[in-house]
Amino acid sequence: MADAIALPQARPAQPALQFLRVVPGVLLLAAVGYAGKLLERNVGTYAKAHHWTFPNIEYVLWAILIGLAISNTVGVPQIFRSGVATYEFWLKAGIVLLGSRFLLGDVLRLGGVSLALVAMEIAVAIAFMTFLGRAFGLRPKLTSLLAVGSAVCGVSAIIATQGAIDADDEDSSFAIAAILALGALSLFTFPLIGHALHLSDHAYGLWAGLAVDNTAEATAAGALYSDAAGKLAVLAKTTRNAMIGFVVLAYAIYWASRGEAKTVGNKAAFLWQKFPKFVLGFLLISVLATYHFFTEEQTTALANLSRWAFLLTFAGVGLRTNFREMRKQGLRPFAVGAIGEVAIAVFTLALVAGAGKLFGF
Amino acid sequence: MSTNTVSLPRKSWKLSLDSWAVVAALLAALLIRAGVFTRVPW
Repeated sequence: MADAIALPQARPAQPALQFLRVVPGVLLLAAVGYAGKLLERNVGTYAKAHHWTFPNIEYVLWAILIGLAISNTVGVPQIFRSGVATYEFWLKAGIVLLGSRFLLGDVLRLGGVSLALVAMEIAVAIAFMTFLGRAFGLRPKLTSLLAVGSAVCGVSAIIATQGAIDADDEDSSFAIAAILALGALSLFTFPLIGHALHLSDHAYGLWAGLAVDNTAEATAAGALYSDAAGKLAVLAKTTRNAMIGFVVLAYAIYWASRGEAKTVGNKAAFLWQKFPKFVLGFLLISVLATYHFFTEEQTTALANLSRWAFLLTFAGVGLRTNFREMRKQGLRPFAVGAIGEVAIAVFTLALVAGAGKLFGF
Repeated sequence: MSTNTVSLPRKSWKLSLDSWAVVAALLAALLIRAGVFTRVPW
C-alpha cells in the first residue's frame, strides 16, 4: 500500500469553530426550557384530572428547577458549557425584542420613575455595602466589587469594575459567587414576599428590577410573579444597567486617586465602552413600535420571540448555578452580601411603596 | 500616585456579546417586518 501523503489540513475558520462549540449547550438550553414549558402545561392538567391539589408552577420555575437539578447532581458536562454560557446573549436579545411591548411614552414615564428610584438605590446600596465590608474586615477592593455588584447589575458590573480598579481575580470570584448565590435565593423569596404583601404587578416588577442584582435573575423573578411584572422588572433593571458606566468610572477614579489603580484617560470613551448596548437596542425597537413600524401581528411575533429567548435564559440560570462551587468561596463575602441584600430589598420596597403612593400604582 | 493610564483596547471590528445580541434581535425584527416569518408561536 502506498504511503499516505500527509496533506496540510485546512484549518477550520475560528468563527465556525466557535459556533460549533456552542451548539450542544444551546440545544441543552432549548431542551431544558422546552421541558419546563411542557411540564407547566401537562402537570397542571394531570393534577386536575386526578383531583390533586397541586400549585400552578410556571414554565419559568420549571426551567430553573430542571437546570438546578442537572447542575447540582450530575453536573453540566464540558461539551455543553460554552453553549450554556450563551444564556447572557439570549437574555440581551430577549430584552431588545421586549422593547416592542413598550410604547416610547411608557418607557419615558416609567423609565423616569425608575431612574429616580435607581439613583437612590445605587447611592444607599454603595454606602451600606461599603460600611458592611469595613465592619466585617473584608479587603477594600473586594468590598468595592460587592458594592458595585449589589448596587448596579451583578456579575457584569463586577467584571467591568475588576478591570478598572485592578482588583485580584480572587476578589472578583468571591464577589461573583456571593452575588450569584444571593440571586438564586431571590428567585424563590421575592415572589413569595410579593404575594404575601399583595403587591400589584407594577409595584412588584419595579421592586424586583431595583433589588435583584443580576439581570437574568431579575427578569426571572419578575416573570415568576406575572407577565406584566416581568415587563416592569426588565424596564427597571435596564435603567439600572444603564448606570454601570458612571459607577465603574467613579470607582476607577477613586482607586486611581489612592494610587492603587491606573488613571482613566478618555472618560467619554470609557463610559461608551462600559455602556450596555442592549439598552439602545431596546429603545430603538420601542421607538419603532411606537411609530407603528410593526403591525399588531408582527408585534405579537416579536413578543413571542422575546419569550423564547427568555426561556433559554431561565434554563441557563439553573444550569450555571452550582451551590457546591459557591460554598467553596467562603462565608464572609456571602454574609456581607446577604445582610446588604436584605437591607437593599427592604429599602427598595419602601421606595416602591412611596413611589406607588405618589404615582398611584 | 500611579501615573499609568487605563488604555482602552485598540479599536477592532470584533463586536461584544452585547452588540451581537442587539444585531441578532434587530435582524429578527427586520425579518418579521419583511414578512419572512409571519407568525412566531408560543
